[in-house]
Amino acid sequence: MTDDILRTTDLTKRFGALTANDEISISVERGEIRGIIGPNGSGKTTFFNTVTGFYQPDGGSVHFDGEEVTGWEPYRLARRGLGRTFQIVSPFKNMTVRQNMLAVQTDDGRSREEKRDRAEEILEFLEIDHIADNEARGMSGGQQKLLELGRVLMLDPELVMLDEPAAGVNPALELRIMDHIHELNDEGTTFVVIEHDMHVMKTLADSVSVFDSGSHIAQGDFEEVSQDDAVREAYLGGTTAEDDEVPI
Amino acid sequence: MSGPVPSLDRLPGEPRYWYAGLAVLLVAWPLLFGAFWARIGLGALMWIGLAQSWNMIGGYAGYLDFGHGAYFGIGAFAAAVAMAQFGYPFLVGFGLAILVSTVVAYLVAVPTLRLTGAYFAIATWAFAESIKQAALVTGITGGTFGLSLPRSPETFIGVPVPFEIAETFFYYAMLVLCLATMALTYYLFERHEFGYRVKALRDDQDAAESLGIDTTRVKRQVYVLSCVVAAVFGSVHAWYIVYVHPNDVLAPIITDRMVIMALLGGLGTLTGPIAGGLLVFLLERLSSVFLGSTTFYLPLIGILIMVTVLFAPSGIIGILRGEVDRDDVRKNVKELGEKFDLL
Ligand SMILES: Nc1ncnc2c1ncn2[C@@H]1O[C@H](COP(=O)(O)OP(=O)(O)OP(=O)(O)O)[C@@H](O)[C@H]1O
Ligand SMILES: [Mg+2]
Repeated sequence: MTDDILRTTDLTKRFGALTANDEISISVERGEIRGIIGPNGSGKTTFFNTVTGFYQPDGGSVHFDGEEVTGWEPYRLARRGLGRTFQIVSPFKNMTVRQNMLAVQTDDGRSREEKRDRAEEILEFLEIDHIADNEARGMSGGQQKLLELGRVLMLDPELVMLDEPAAGVNPALELRIMDHIHELNDEGTTFVVIEHDMHVMKTLADSVSVFDSGSHIAQGDFEEVSQDDAVREAYLGGTTAEDDEVPI
Repeated sequence: MSGPVPSLDRLPGEPRYWYAGLAVLLVAWPLLFGAFWARIGLGALMWIGLAQSWNMIGGYAGYLDFGHGAYFGIGAFAAAVAMAQFGYPFLVGFGLAILVSTVVAYLVAVPTLRLTGAYFAIATWAFAESIKQAALVTGITGGTFGLSLPRSPETFIGVPVPFEIAETFFYYAMLVLCLATMALTYYLFERHEFGYRVKALRDDQDAAESLGIDTTRVKRQVYVLSCVVAAVFGSVHAWYIVYVHPNDVLAPIITDRMVIMALLGGLGTLTGPIAGGLLVFLLERLSSVFLGSTTFYLPLIGILIMVTVLFAPSGIIGILRGEVDRDDVRKNVKELGEKFDLL
């Protein structure tokens, strides 16, 4: 049996008549970087929200780190070690970068000093320590993305779920963010990353899960998935193009 | 590496002797200027404290509580009922004010803090209105007759005290409560990580929740705390004015004043409610004393609020700190012009 850090079983979420997540069963292995791709509106963000407790599922279950956590409140999951970011950046605008970091609450018994030291460490790692005392409202979009990543790391998470971490970010910063993810992954953090950019996905993810119309239609490494008929169908709308990859 | 956590609302640190001078003035005030100015002083201290109590939930947490005045009235009636109906000393009434306001605030917090924005404002306003109506028809609160509180020397702690329960006494009572409120606000909201959590949930509740903050619990804590502070001032006020009536201590204007003071001074700052509270209270009181008018200050306040919202959303404190941004002002004026088809 593999060591799964996250496992969903038939996870279902409906909005009225719309089934945004239809019996999604996914296992994420400890230590991997899992990519999630799928067309707009295919249910990727909904999956994040249902797993992390922002939505109550209409069916199915979520297991995290060997424990059933279905329906847990988001803050409890966060303290338990499941961190996430949002598709739309959400820094605490009226607070400084450092205060954003220190607002994070864990129950690991760290002292205030330890927490502050950890915040400094993370800010240095992400190379935003020089703006630690700036208010978040004045930061660039890219810096805000870095800050979000930094805040999540304050949880000392086992698993981090990132919803389009490089969206709207310039290519240089995008590379930096990807490097950070790799580095953190090397140190043992598991990642689940939603990303539209196939180039990024190809180099980042160990394996990829594909969503379409609320269903989980394929899974495998990038090459496997891009050869998959159902995936080509979802992306190309049923054309029988001879290319051996989904459009990049 | 880990210096002190910088605070958003730093007290101006230097010069120290400025604080010493202020302390001396505050302590000597009623002795220097007599009963009339002691009354002005204690009123100012009470309103600064009340404005700060509203600022906790309305400013720091961003929940516009339009029923906050109810807790001032609840505190006033708790003291009045304990003293007038049961013959207990003030200290018991004071304790009762804390107890009752804690319980009521918690019961109100559970359903209403699920609401946000205008819905929360309307729900709390309706709650305050219903408390007032209840006090008007309930026997124990004196109904439409109100209640009169005794003020003899033994009514403070049960045995006679060797000083007069009059203006000077109430001035010092309000001074202690006001300073305690400021110290508590400074510690909890500006120094302690609790304050970061409160500001975090104000700025983005979902993000706060995703970062381990139990937002439901933190909101309730802020709400209950802010309500208890208002009730404590209410209980002292009741004893000071000797007679409480629902139409006075439960009047909507009490909430309105707190909101105006905090808004004018600067929401979510320690010093804002001090500046706003002082300004509004003095305008109101001095215009009624010296100009014989009690309504003159109202249009003035109205204009001040419009100017604040348009030109200095961070209030008087923002202006003093030079935070007013010309571009923001231009944007606000433009938006207003567009709204009313002026430009
Ligand atoms: N809170 C909600 N209420 C109603 N419908 C919702 C809600 N959240 C999502 N949906 C719907 O569920 C479907 C899936 O949305 P979701 O945001 O999960 O897609 P996504 O895969 O993240 O898309 P994108 O790539 O554009 O971010 C969409 O049809 C969306 O309109
Ligand atoms: Mg999405």
